[in-house]
Amino acid sequence: MHISGWPMTEFLFFIEVVVAGLLAGTMYSLVALGFVLIYKASSTFNFAQGAMVFFAVLSFVGFMELGLPFVLAFFVTILLMALLGFATERLVLKPLMNQSEDTLLMATIGLGFVLEGLAQAVWGVEVRRLDLGIGDFPIQWIIDSTGLFISALDLTAGLVAAVLIIGLALIFKYTKMGLGLRAVADDPGAASSIGIPLGNIMLLVWTAAGIVALVAGMMWGARAGVQFALVDLALKALPVLIIGGFSSIPGAIVGGLIIGASEKVLEVYVGPYFGGAIEGWAPFVIAIFFLLWRPEGLFGEKIIRRV
Amino acid sequence: MAPLKGLFDVRPSCGTPNRPAANTAIFMTTETDNILEIDTIEVIYDSVIAALHDVSLTVPRGKIVALLGGNGAGKSTTLKAVSTMLKGERGKVTKGTITYDGAAVKNQDPADMVGLGLVQVLEGRRCFGHLTVEENIIAGAYSRKLSRADIRNELEKIYSYFNRLKDRRKSQAGFTSGGEQQMVAVARAMMAKPKMLLLDEPSMGLAPQLVAEIFNIVNELNQNEGVSILLAEQNTNVALRNADYGYIIETGHVMLHGTAESLLNDEKVKELYLGISKEGRKNFRDVLREESTDHADLHHS
Ligand SMILES: Nc1ncnc2c1ncn2[C@@H]1O[C@H](COP(=O)(O)OP(=O)(O)OP(=O)(O)O)[C@@H](O)[C@H]1O
Ligand SMILES: [Mg+2]
Repeated sequence: MHISGWPMTEFLFFIEVVVAGLLAGTMYSLVALGFVLIYKASSTFNFAQGAMVFFAVLSFVGFMELGLPFVLAFFVTILLMALLGFATERLVLKPLMNQSEDTLLMATIGLGFVLEGLAQAVWGVEVRRLDLGIGDFPIQWIIDSTGLFISALDLTAGLVAAVLIIGLALIFKYTKMGLGLRAVADDPGAASSIGIPLGNIMLLVWTAAGIVALVAGMMWGARAGVQFALVDLALKALPVLIIGGFSSIPGAIVGGLIIGASEKVLEVYVGPYFGGAIEGWAPFVIAIFFLLWRPEGLFGEKIIRRV
Repeated sequence: MAPLKGLFDVRPSCGTPNRPAANTAIFMTTETDNILEIDTIEVIYDSVIAALHDVSLTVPRGKIVALLGGNGAGKSTTLKAVSTMLKGERGKVTKGTITYDGAAVKNQDPADMVGLGLVQVLEGRRCFGHLTVEENIIAGAYSRKLSRADIRNELEKIYSYFNRLKDRRKSQAGFTSGGEQQMVAVARAMMAKPKMLLLDEPSMGLAPQLVAEIFNIVNELNQNEGVSILLAEQNTNVALRNADYGYIIETGHVMLHGTAESLLNDEKVKELYLGISKEGRKNFRDVLREESTDHADLHHS
């Protein structure tokens, strides 16, 4: 990717790294958004979010292998995730409604294991390839117009994440269900007292988290293959949440961008001193420094419970 | 015998005033139109903590009934038993019955009760802090299927009662004053078009002037919209001045009930609840033990 013999080369390269990082970061934002939605609606840290990413994209690939066309497989998977949200609400969350948040936390950890196991039992354990028809190589017209090498896959991921985030934000701001969700997020008891059915709102957030998981899984799976490692990749949402605050949607977005950009910059400029591959743990180190500086996160309002 | 006032006016055939509460409730069922009848309910939290032992009370349609008592007396528990909000707090009605608008309250959830026209305004205001004042109020219409135009009309109607909120409608509710937040909570509940409101300590932590303003609005809503009101209050004086009838409870028992006027003029109520006593505050049980005089229009349980 490095081109030499140009006065601006070094600077351009830096910009490339940052842009690639920001674009990759949108995916972290997206997954973190899934966490935030569930956290806001039920004050529960959903440890199953990583497993949901894996489950969703593996199911999607599985449906494609069964011969379903792309679009149909996509919507069938979304339906499946909505169904999963419904089952989770009915079988796990509702019976535990009056239990402590710790109990709910345990339940989501359990749910995570169930999803991982279920996905592998149904679709097998081998790594699948997912071809979205978008290559991981630079786009010519961007090179021509700016001199920057930006990967088509990165750019697509960034655009898709942006569209999804804006779409969700509009739903939350302007629809009745969105108003209900924001009300529940502020005070579930008061929301219930005016007749907002908490169960429906839970179904909404779990479905939204499912869609977000599927999209993130597709983007990541297209690059690195659909495999179990996606669960760990999704866990990078944790440092994102520490930076952005557990209950803030803008926080999730900005946090994802910060983690994305800084891990790429560190990987490229600092990585060589550590023998490379610091992308895996750098975000967690950044998060720790953030914790020391602002434990409630950039946009968070109250200090989170230690989980 | 002193003439019966207040609530007793609407059921002139209501027998002897010294009739015990439970019997009175049953009697009233047959004679008049009560929107709410609570008959000797016991409520237990966490399967062990008894919060109510034998509470009975009646709210005639279109009236304001005050439920009075100190901290931990069981006022909020009574209201939550009616709105079924108890379930969310591991509480359960273990004995007795609740009849709202002619139907037994049993397995409904709070959303069902709102659908039936019964809305509780929880203690401590409980606004949605991040939502604007107007979004808070609109959220109150969640249970209703309204078009955008309908919502605007309803909003205008609500604002005609809560003038103050109209100016603040774009403000984030979390940043408004305590009085405004209490108004938001009541306005939000009214947006559900209730037949009956359960108000839990609307005066809590507010300056007397604001308390008066809020009670004025509550009275207007009662008069103009015909909403029946069960009002839990520690502020005995204000509550009785705005109510038709009152019940005083202590540790989960109804100690005394009567028309608002009779309670306001009762020596023991004055002494114990209106702060007109020279001695320190005792509770009802002790006073009753000391002397048991008969009151013409008061009922000891
Ligand atoms: N969720 C709960 N779990 C266990 N016990 C409870 C719960 N809520 C209330 N109680 C108990 O039930 C009793 C009645 O409480 P309640 O809240 O109904 O009183 P109150 O009259 O509303 O008091 P206050 O004026 O302080 O609001 C108290 O002893 C209280 O400790
Ligand atoms: Mg109370």
